[in-house]
Amino acid sequence: MTNEAIIQLKDIDVTFHNKGQTVEAVKHVSLSVERGDIYGVVGYSGAGKSTLVRVINRLQRPTAGSVEVNGQDILELSSRELRTARTKIGMIFQHFNLMASRTIADNVGYPLKGRMSHADRKQKVAHLLELVGLSEKATDYPAQLSGGQKQRVAIARALANDPEILISDEATSALDPKTTSSILALLKRLNKELGLTVVLITHEMEAVKEICNKVAVMEDGEIIERGDLVSIFSRPQKPLTQDFINTATQINQALEKIFRQADSLNLSESQQLVQLQYVGASTDAPLITELYKRYGVVSNILYGNVEILQDTPLGNLIVVMSGDPDKLAAAWQYCLDAGIHITHLNPNDSEVA
Amino acid sequence: MNLLAKYFPNAVTMKSDFVQATGETLYMTAITAIVAGIIGMAIGIGLIVTQPGGILENRVIYNILDKIVNLCRSIPFVILLAVIAPLTRIIVGTAIGTTAAIVPLVIGSAPFYARQIQNALAEVDRGVIEAAESVGSGPIAIIFRVYLKEGLADIIRSSVLTLISLIDLTAMAGAIGGGGLGNLAINVGYSRFETDVTVMAMLIILVIVFAIQLIGDLLARHVDHTA
Repeated sequence: MTNEAIIQLKDIDVTFHNKGQTVEAVKHVSLSVERGDIYGVVGYSGAGKSTLVRVINRLQRPTAGSVEVNGQDILELSSRELRTARTKIGMIFQHFNLMASRTIADNVGYPLKGRMSHADRKQKVAHLLELVGLSEKATDYPAQLSGGQKQRVAIARALANDPEILISDEATSALDPKTTSSILALLKRLNKELGLTVVLITHEMEAVKEICNKVAVMEDGEIIERGDLVSIFSRPQKPLTQDFINTATQINQALEKIFRQADSLNLSESQQLVQLQYVGASTDAPLITELYKRYGVVSNILYGNVEILQDTPLGNLIVVMSGDPDKLAAAWQYCLDAGIHITHLNPNDSEVA
Repeated sequence: MNLLAKYFPNAVTMKSDFVQATGETLYMTAITAIVAGIIGMAIGIGLIVTQPGGILENRVIYNILDKIVNLCRSIPFVILLAVIAPLTRIIVGTAIGTTAAIVPLVIGSAPFYARQIQNALAEVDRGVIEAAESVGSGPIAIIFRVYLKEGLADIIRSSVLTLISLIDLTAMAGAIGGGGLGNLAINVGYSRFETDVTVMAMLIILVIVFAIQLIGDLLARHVDHTA
């Protein structure tokens, strides 16, 4: 994988005028996606993420800014050139958008109509259906398929023109968790096998966590935070990012439970509720034992979770530490030196971090 | 046959008149359906693609088409028949007769059909259009391979509706000089107090209408794969 940017959005503004009201859906956003990336764009609905990615294939013309895809200035293209450029940018949608009147094979072959001979098309469609694991459904109609199968058909259709980029606009949002995982696994496989660059729009950090290598967080039409997956997950800067991540790692739920039972914890002066976060190798260190051996600090684990992100372990522990105040301070310093991030939690402050 | 003679004493003696009138009605309906079908289809597609948010959004063309359709649909057909007579004379050479009736019939039914087509195509999911755009389809491909294909079941249902209302119009046109079953029912049956002729004309029209409805329903069901 090279470091060449395949998608380059610069200073994108998208402003809608509707009945005298002006809505700035996207404000001054720049985004650079490199070849081979699976780039997640996360945000709540209305954050402008869909509008932003629709700029990539000019389904949405930006009010200002520049769009470069594969070295081509998308905004300068004539409509004929744009259509050719679009064949290299596949797109899948939340509601699949299949044609109800066409069979599965016809849906997949639709983009190839008029572009290749009937025999070639048939062969290509068979190959695409095999790729997404739906060969036996070729003669069915979309209404006969489940949501996950429909999305696989949509993916096969999006791949018909051999695109280099696949834009996934909330493609898993209408699916159950298990189906979501299988669709995400398929996208990951396509990324690896075909070198497909994927831009994944979602409001679920879980989806990002599973397959993305980079992520941008959007709020109110702006990208408020971006970076590679591991650093965003281990060191989120903005409250919204932290919120997304805590939901994805289920720490929010754990904290909520712990805080609800704060009274029964009965923390004394010499006890502290802390959250320990560690990335990579430090996961393996026998931390709890070490703290006891060195400082006589006893740690009672209330919650533990390890995520593997891009082959990097990311651990989260919520523990109650007991010991003399100076010993506790020394123990925390030891953690910090070991590269472990410590958050002191106040059980009486019911606001979840 | 005796029963027929008993209840339709006048009608049984006019067999050839009925055959000819039925032929005229079918002729007016068929020719009008073809001409108005093409015009209505074109205007309906024009409306859908130029409407705000359409694939060839164009406010001016949309408003012109929209106003024409509304205007034509606002004129009661019987009045249209009279008003349009000079134009009919220019086009056909005469304002009376079966062929002459086709001009007002086209003008009366094409806008109706255009609106029906517009409504049928409006049912096509915007997301599907967008998906087609995203794979590089141009406007022509989207019209023929998406709109008309996806909207086909609804187009058939609208066409049946239009055809049936067209038969209604042919009866009216027939009554004032266009020939056909309407002419027979009014100018023979009603005016000469031969009620059985009117009833027979009505029955034949009902048979035609039911046949169209039946075939249309079967066709629509055949192409509809939404459920």
